Amino acid sequence: MVNKKFSISLLLLTPLLALAGCAGESPDSSSESESGSEDRTQISFIHWRGEDKEVFDDIIAQFEDEYPEIGVDMNIYPSEQYQATGQRMLTDGSTGDVFTSFPGAQFEAIANAGFFEDLSGEDFVGNFDESLISVGEKDGQQLALPYQLVFNMPVYNKGMFDELGLEVPKSWSEFQEMADTLLENDITPIAFPGADIGPNQFMNSMMMNNAPDEEVFQKLQDGEESLTNEWWVKTLEDFQLLEQNGYIQPDALGTSQDSAMAMVANEEAAMLATGSYHMASLLGLNPDLELDLMAPITVEESEAEYEGINTATFMLAVNSNSEKKEQAKEFIRFLSRPEIASQYANETGQHLTVNDVEYESEVLQNTAYWIDERKTRFQPRFLITNAQVEAAVLSSIENVLGGADPMEAAEEAQQIVEENLE
Amino acid sequence: MKISKSIYLFFLPGLFLYSIFFLYPTVSALFYSFTDWDGLSDAYQFVGIGNYERALTGDSVFRKTVGNNLKFMLMVVIFQTLTALAFAMIVLKNTKTNLFLRALYFFPTILSSVSVAFIWSFIYDPSLGILNQILELLGLHFLQQNWLGNSDIAIYSLAITQIWFHAGQMLIIFVAGLQAIPEDLYEVAKIEGASKWQTFRKVTWPLLAPSATIVIAYTTIQSFKAFDLVFAMTGGGPNNSTEIIATYIFDVAFRSYNFGYASSISVLFMVIIAFITFLQFKALRSDRISY
Repeated sequence: MVNKKFSISLLLLTPLLALAGCAGESPDSSSESESGSEDRTQISFIHWRGEDKEVFDDIIAQFEDEYPEIGVDMNIYPSEQYQATGQRMLTDGSTGDVFTSFPGAQFEAIANAGFFEDLSGEDFVGNFDESLISVGEKDGQQLALPYQLVFNMPVYNKGMFDELGLEVPKSWSEFQEMADTLLENDITPIAFPGADIGPNQFMNSMMMNNAPDEEVFQKLQDGEESLTNEWWVKTLEDFQLLEQNGYIQPDALGTSQDSAMAMVANEEAAMLATGSYHMASLLGLNPDLELDLMAPITVEESEAEYEGINTATFMLAVNSNSEKKEQAKEFIRFLSRPEIASQYANETGQHLTVNDVEYESEVLQNTAYWIDERKTRFQPRFLITNAQVEAAVLSSIENVLGGADPMEAAEEAQQIVEENLE
Repeated sequence: MKISKSIYLFFLPGLFLYSIFFLYPTVSALFYSFTDWDGLSDAYQFVGIGNYERALTGDSVFRKTVGNNLKFMLMVVIFQTLTALAFAMIVLKNTKTNLFLRALYFFPTILSSVSVAFIWSFIYDPSLGILNQILELLGLHFLQQNWLGNSDIAIYSLAITQIWFHAGQMLIIFVAGLQAIPEDLYEVAKIEGASKWQTFRKVTWPLLAPSATIVIAYTTIQSFKAFDLVFAMTGGGPNNSTEIIATYIFDVAFRSYNFGYASSISVLFMVIIAFITFLQFKALRSDRISY
């Protein structure tokens, strides 16, 4: 009898034990909460930048020293996981009092779900460069504050250009002349990582002057524009020209970003078609490189409106479901201080959207002129808010690089766009 | 024999876990497949069979993913089964060498799929990858390919990786099946003067049919669910040529935030797998025999 009762108890206990074993989250977390301190309010800060953990740990420690009544629990998720589950965690307000968002589709989805607290009118908004934070606006409200600033345009070997007497081309014909000169010197003009991030990075600078209208993708999603129109077909024709003339390496669609970076680091290629965020890695591979940024101008010099691409990302926001909004805002206020932002920028090797940041590294200093002195536009790809439409646009580039006719590739992509019109 | 009622209690833990982790998500997916839920908001609207209509008639990418999945599945099922069977016959006897070889063939199975994806992405790299370099060394440069970048062959390149990854697992099932065949049947076949092919066709294959059924059904389901390998190696590209149903569901749900539509594709996915598995069971049942 005892054995029978014991068996039954054990059977009923098993599921509970199994569930208990499943409980809890195990992302990379730090800054443990101090449950012993009753007056302390713990806020949760979630993001996807695992590589910034160390500098954030230090910044959080400084914050907690200055504001002993507020503790910060930081949880970092891999970016894919963050995209997949990040917004779900915001639902009940217990996680992500301060959270980050990508611009584009994720920002739109979170905004539509109403998880952004309106930050308009907060004093710390003034710490950011006004021209770089509009991507965090919606319906006249400042919902998120982009923190990082990257330039999604090719990195080029400035030293190699100087040696060959090449100047930065200002038109499409000059670009082709420059590329021919490089080919004559057995150098591949552009290392294009077509297997991963190449198409989604390079499309921006390739189309920036073919379609200077910054609302072109919104119009596309509204059914007022078409990929079969001149602006996109010309962009695809330009990609075709790069491929047919050997301006990008053979088998580009199978090349990973590591292989493309190796080509530039070994000086087999002159340009890397990704962005400023790879400059530090390239210098890590070859410290003798002298690097700068350059976007292809695909029109005549007189018609060029933009010189490059910028992306304000890692958008800081406060969860509208949070019960600790004031403490969350205090943390963002702290992050937006010039001295804290400078520490973050220099230790992570990135430009920021915060005013008065002092860049210490040579690469950041040498390319900081792109922030104020050059006319750049926000990354067009992030203005596509429907991920299926974005995938169709990128597929058309891959299709052309795979040998398809630009118009046929555009028609195929346009069909997918039309299937996804709301 | 009288069965005590208390024995039914032993079903409870399994039933409980099954309900929480399988039944509830399945019923939820079925429910949401009739809505336009974005996966975030509390609000959603019923759209009837709209999502199913869209998938079956108005989504060219979904149709492409089904085609890609069938190509992938056919190649994996045929070649993985044949490879596993051939190797199982080679390493059938329990010698020390064969035990080592079985362990060696099984080794890829214990690797994580992301590691496998990383290794094979490197092997396939058109400029640095060792596959093209080996072909060059062997004077077979005409066979060099842009393995993952050519939309005509990328799905087959992924299938080769999948076969390498899982053939060892199937080999073990075949070895177990082959070792269960009574030795005296082979002796009879030999006395009767049967050729090797006749012995295989009339003795080995019919008695191996139950193992083959398991291998083929499992391989089919596995190849439909090869999400991690595809996601890590090509992300569905180039030009959707390696997009399979599982990766497309992820894109629709977590990149487009269209959980309602993704749920309807999941339901169709389940129906497709069930249908194909049913056909396979029916086909293989006719080959079964017992002596």
